[in-house]
Amino acid sequence: MSDQGVATRSGPGRLLVAVYAIFALAAGARAGVQIATRFDEAPLAYTLSAVAAVIYVLATVALALGGRTSRRVAFAALTIELAGVLIVGTLSLADPEAFPDATVWSGFGRGYGFIPLVLPVIGLYWLRRTRPAAP
Amino acid sequence: MTNWLATTIIVVSLLGAAYSLVTALRDRPMDVGHLIMLGLVEVLLVVQAVLGFVKLGDDQGPADSATFIGYMLGILLIPAAGAGWGVLERSRWGPGVIVVACLSVAVMIVRMNQIWAGDV
Repeated sequence: MSDQGVATRSGPGRLLVAVYAIFALAAGARAGVQIATRFDEAPLAYTLSAVAAVIYVLATVALALGGRTSRRVAFAALTIELAGVLIVGTLSLADPEAFPDATVWSGFGRGYGFIPLVLPVIGLYWLRRTRPAAP
Repeated sequence: MTNWLATTIIVVSLLGAAYSLVTALRDRPMDVGHLIMLGLVEVLLVVQAVLGFVKLGDDQGPADSATFIGYMLGILLIPAAGAGWGVLERSRWGPGVIVVACLSVAVMIVRMNQIWAGDV
C-alpha cells in the first residue's frame, strides 16, 4: 500500500476507527437480534438498522485501510451515514409508530449520546484533513 | 446477572479509562501496564459470560435473552480488539483507543444490567 494509505488510520484517525468499530459492533448486533427475533413488528425500522450496520462496517474498514479507493468508499459511507441519521432522526420524531423499537439513528442517535450525529461530521472532516496533496 | 462481578467490571474499566486518559494527556504511548489492565478486564468478562450462561441455563435470565447474549458475547471482543488496535499506534492516540474501549465496556455492562432487569 502507498504511504497515503497510512494517514486515515494513524494518530487521531486510530481513535476514529476505534469508535466506528464500536458502532459497527453495536449496530450490527442490534440489527441481527431485531431481524432474527421480531422482524415483522417493524420491518422499516429493522431494515434501516441493518443498513446502518452495513454503513458502519464499511466506514470502519474503509477508514482503517485508507487507500485511494477506500477513501472514496469512506466518503460515500460517511455521507450516507450523515444523511441517514438526519432523515431517520426526523422520521422517528415525526412518525414514532413506524419506529417502536429504536435504531441507532432514531432521535438523531439520542440513545447513543448523539454520537451517531457527530461521528460522520468528524469523519468527513478527518478525510478532508488527511487528503493527499494534489500531484 | 452477578451483581458484584458487574460492579467490579465497571469499576476496573472506569479506572482503566482514567489511567489511559492520563497517559494520553501526558502524550505517552501505551505500555505493558495498559495491556495488563485490558487482560484483567477480559478475564472478568469471560468469567461473566460463563456465569451468565449458567444463570440463563437455570432460567434466571431476562425475557429478551437474545439481546443479552449478544451483549455478553460482543463485549468479549472489545478489550482484545482495543489492545490490538491501540498497540499499533505509538503515540498518545494508542491509549486514546483504550479509553474508548474501557468506556464502551462500562456502558455495555450498565445496558446489560438494564436488559437483565427487564427495564429497557
